[in-house]
Parts: sequence; structure tokens; C-alpha cells
Amino acid sequence: MNRDINIKNMRINCFRQSKVDGIFMLQMRVPGGFVDAKYLEMIQYMAKTWGDGNFHFGTRQTFDIPGIKYDDIPAVNAYIEKYIKEVDAELCEVDMDKIAGEPHEWDPSSGYPTIGARNITACIGNYHCICANINTFELARKLEKIIFPSHYHIKINIAGCPNDCNKAHLCDFGIIGTYKFDYHPERCIGCGLCAKKCEHGATRVLSLDEGTAKILKDPCCCVGCGECARACPTSAWQRHPEPLYRVILGGRTGRQTPRLGKMFLNWASEDVIIAVLKNWQKFSAWVMDYKPEYLHGGHLIDRAGYKKFKEIMLDGVELNPECMVAEDIFWTETEHRSNCNVKPIELHHTAGPQHD
Amino acid sequence: MSYRLSKQEVSGLFEKLSEKYDIYAPKRVKNAGRYSETDIIQYAKISDISEVVWDEKSTYPMKEVLSPIQQTIFYFTEDEYRESKGKTRPMLIFARPCDINAMKVQARIYAGNGGFVDMYYQRMHELARYILMPCSGGDDTCFCVSMGTNTTDDYAMAVKPLEDGMLFEVKDEEFAPCFEKAEKAEFAPEFVKENELTAVIPEIPDKEVLNALKKHPMWKQFNGRCISCGACTIACSTCTCFTTRDVIYGDNPEVGERRRVSASCQIDTFAKVAGGGDYRTTAGDRMRYKMLHKFHDYKARFGESHMCVGCGRCTARCPEFISITVTLRKMNEAVAQIRAELGR
Repeated sequence: MNRDINIKNMRINCFRQSKVDGIFMLQMRVPGGFVDAKYLEMIQYMAKTWGDGNFHFGTRQTFDIPGIKYDDIPAVNAYIEKYIKEVDAELCEVDMDKIAGEPHEWDPSSGYPTIGARNITACIGNYHCICANINTFELARKLEKIIFPSHYHIKINIAGCPNDCNKAHLCDFGIIGTYKFDYHPERCIGCGLCAKKCEHGATRVLSLDEGTAKILKDPCCCVGCGECARACPTSAWQRHPEPLYRVILGGRTGRQTPRLGKMFLNWASEDVIIAVLKNWQKFSAWVMDYKPEYLHGGHLIDRAGYKKFKEIMLDGVELNPECMVAEDIFWTETEHRSNCNVKPIELHHTAGPQHD
Repeated sequence: MSYRLSKQEVSGLFEKLSEKYDIYAPKRVKNAGRYSETDIIQYAKISDISEVVWDEKSTYPMKEVLSPIQQTIFYFTEDEYRESKGKTRPMLIFARPCDINAMKVQARIYAGNGGFVDMYYQRMHELARYILMPCSGGDDTCFCVSMGTNTTDDYAMAVKPLEDGMLFEVKDEEFAPCFEKAEKAEFAPEFVKENELTAVIPEIPDKEVLNALKKHPMWKQFNGRCISCGACTIACSTCTCFTTRDVIYGDNPEVGERRRVSASCQIDTFAKVAGGGDYRTTAGDRMRYKMLHKFHDYKARFGESHMCVGCGRCTARCPEFISITVTLRKMNEAVAQIRAELGR
């Protein structure tokens, strides 16, 4: 097949090249992986009309429609205008006429304007789950307008609780819902169930004091999961009015340096999470000398170093009193190719403004 | 006599009443539930009538006002001790018929059982007056009609909130002066005649059937289902079991207090005795004990009625979805089977 196709532009438009020449797969954003089921009819129609009749759940919770012919892409883009407007522009209040905060008029029939900021994934959260501390997709919808549209890449995963089913530990900016708890000793019957649950399913920070038949807690190591409140037969453990969040930074998969993320913020308020992420475009721009290119968010942190990241990301952020910030982060990488990070100095990447 | 008060008059009335009485009512505690963004409703002192939760069953029972989960019964210093002073202000408690009937059960256990009156219960009981709240039949766990606890005349006042005020029936003369200038009205409380749920209590005719029921395999199913958390008995309107605990102040064992703390027969250490013996070692044993206590043993001892008032809080609160009425149905089936086998 003789085709002249700008693959890079296709990718920015969220159409992924396939093994077969001229055939693409569309990836549609579903912020928080949660959307009105009415859109499934739309997905079915698209798959049958322009795709190969099949559907794939994207690994980042996108609606993936494989088998789309290059020539059909304008028709597909025109068809998804309604979806993008309803889900991103209206539900998430995204300003589609901006890219990374800068004015950039969007042609509504042209499909997705950028792929850089990847779809925010989430577990089902406390909309359904008995373990979850937060409404994950509502948070995803609040964050969508901060990171999208943008050519700067970032992967955000939201987990409803520290069990982290959604793998906040394996993305650039993983957000975990937590709570601080009040203990009401006057309601405690000393059954010790919370301590047993904490030992079995959390971090063993609770113990039953044999002298008083009340609970002792090591607040330092509490992960704020809420297993105590879930287990307590008397409501002696009660959540604070508002949830708090843990941010796990710099986790990733990949061929070169897969690694688990590490804690950046602990007990941060929602306002802090939003304020920090508002600095992401600024940080990315600085690292890449204000020339956006498709580069994974974690690599930007590597190039700048954690301390520079911290400086820019916390700029102007008023931390809530409980909030703890990592002074430094020492990631443990798994190098698949021996010493692949050791290389001639001229091959090292740069960070920050470059002076020619 | 019955009266109709405007919203403003109602506020004024309760403001005036709170000069003499502590007013307790089911009150919402936001985000205090077992799961995130869920609430609990528990009995607590209110400072404004708007705090009363009218249309939802409380998570925890009214008994917590009279016999709280934890109370200090005395303080000790070397060879001296002093009883706790407890409450002195009289209480007005918003309650439904099941809650008020449950207090009769509490009184029977605490005040007179075995010829002994528990002073700590009695002194609270004497301070309590009830304001009857309307009940429209509760939720799908309620079965008061089956237990005969859907009506009561043991209340000082009955109320019914309206859009623009409240209806009052004043039974206790003590409160009559508060209504001297109030508009008279036709109002008598209506009682629930039917619940969504009906419970049938098994007839256990003799000891032989009872013993066979105790050994019946039906109880074994709870070994794998019940997690022995005790939430059902804490939520129960009628459970009275408690344990005592001496708490020493700091490092001086001569100074401290003795507390009474609610206990639960469903927790695995409940029937453990000195020497290491344990009378009910499985969750099924403990479930059997609770069910027979509520639906056989209590009545066998005191006559009159069963212990359970059908408030359904045990079912509503169970994290493992064990329904007391379904368990009753299984008991009925087991009893029928046993009676057929024994020919009675």
C-alpha cells in the first residue's frame, strides 16, 4: 500500500498505527474510566461502521476501536465531536480551545487535539467499593481540565484506597485516597477487631492495650486505609470530614528502567493536589526548554532531578497543615540492560533552558 | 390534650424545655459510617430541634442514652472508693414505640432480675421521659408488628412534624403549662399496623425439642458466614450484657476507676471462663445462643413477651448480610422438622 501518512500527527490525534498499513486504532478518553453507559451504543456503532467490529478496553481505560481505515478518520472524528464535547468539555469542564493553558483554537470536527496528557485512570472508588475512601472519577474529572489538552505527557492513576488496585505506584503521578481517623474510646468495647484487621490487611499500627482494653495506635505508620472503621462494630473509629491524598511519584513500566513510584506527598488535601498539578505544565515546559515533545513524564522528573521537580511543583502551593512532603526520593530502578544508564556524557539528556 | 404549634413556637418550646431537660434524639453523624461518605445516626444530645432525624432508622439504638457503651461506675483510691455521680439533669428522649418497648426489656434485666436493682441503670431510668416520634413502618428490616411492640402508651408527649410546625399530644401533666397559649388540635399518634416484613416465632413446646434444636445442623452455616464482630448486639435495642474493667491511672495501681463496658455474646472470648474453659467456641454456637435468648429463653424466664422488639437494627448493621428474620425462618423449619421426627 502506497500511503503518505504523518504517523506522528495521527498519534497526536489519538489514532494509533497498526501492523496493517493504513489501519488505525482510535483511543477515546474516559476520565476516571467512568462514563454514562449510553456511550457504549456509540462505541458499538463506531466499531461496526468504521472499525473491524471489535472493541478493546485500553490499558489506560480508554475506549479502543481497532481496524479503522485511514480514509475513514475524518468521518470518525466528526462523529466523536459529540462525545468529546459532552465528556471532556461539559462533564470535565475542559477548555478545548487551549493547549497546555495557551490559547489554541480547537476544530470540533477534528477529533482529539493532543495525546500527551494520557487518560486519567481510576478504580471504581467509593461510588461502589466498600474499601475506597474517595470518589475517584469525580477527582479524575476535576484533574482532567488541568492536564488536558496538552502535548506534555503525564500518566495519572487514581486509587480509592491504599490497597492501590489501580496501581498508583506504576505511573508518573499516582493519587491514593486516604483518611485520618478519630478514635472514640467511649464507644470502644475492646474487642480488638480493628487491631486484628490492621495486622492482617494493613500496617499493624493498632494494638489492644491489655490494661485498659482500649486501642493504641502508632500514627507514624498508619496508611489511612480505613480498615479499622470498616471492622469496628461500634463506630469507635470515624473518618475525618474530608479525605486526604497520598501521591506516589515516578512509577513506570518500560523497556529501560521500570520502577515503582515512591511517596512524594502524604496527607495532602484535594486543594493541594489540584494546586500541585497546575504546576505540571510549567515544570514540563522548563525541563524541555519550552519545546513540547512526546516524552514520558517520569523522564522529565529524571532529567530535572527530584529537588528541581519539588521546587517547581510546589511553587505557590499552600500546603494543608497535615501535609508531608518527601525531602528527597531515591527510586530503585530495575535496569533490564546492564548499566544502560551509564553512557558517554554527550549522550546525557539536558534539563532546563539551554544557552546556545 | 393536643396542640398545633408553628415552627417558631416549636423552637421556642424546645428552647424552654432545654432549660430543665437534656434533650436526646437520633442525630446524624456525617461520614462516621463503616464505609467512606456514609453517615451513622446515633442518639445524642441535641441543641436544636432541626437536628432530629425523623425519616430514617437510627444506626444505634436508644438504649445508649440510658446505658451507654462505656460508663464509669466508681473511682478508687487506696482503700476508699466513690460511686460515679452520673447524670443529674432529667432527660427528654425522642423515641419510637419499639425503642420505648425495648426499655421495658432493659428494665426487666437491670432493675429487679434476681431481686437486684442496678443503681446505675435505675438512676438514668428515673431521669428519662419519652417523646413519641411518628413511625411509618420503618424500613425493610423492621418487624415490630410481629413482636407486638408497635404500640405504646408510655410517653410524656407524642409529636408529629408538619411542613410548617408540629402536632403535640401532651399526656404528662408536667408539660401542660408549656402549652397554655397553644392552639388546640385534633391529634393522636398513629401506630404502625403492618411492616413490610413479617416474622414468625417458632413454638418450642418442650425441652426435648429445644435440645434437638440446639444440636440442629442449621447453626453450622454461621461458622462460615458470621465474623463474630458483635455489631448486631451493639445495635440491638435490648441486649444488656456488659463487662467491667478496672483502669489504673498512670503507674499507681492504687488509683483508678472501674468501668462498665458493653460486651457482646457474639465475640469469641465472651464465654471464656477462668481455667480456660469456653462454652461457645464457634460462631454457630454463639448465633444459636443469641437467637434462643431473643426468641425463647427470655420469655421462658419472664413470661409475657419475647426479648426482641423487632427493630431490625441487627440485620441492618450486620456487615455479612445475616438477616435475623431469615434466621428465624430457618429456626422455624428446623423446629418443624424436629417436631415431625419426634412426633409432637
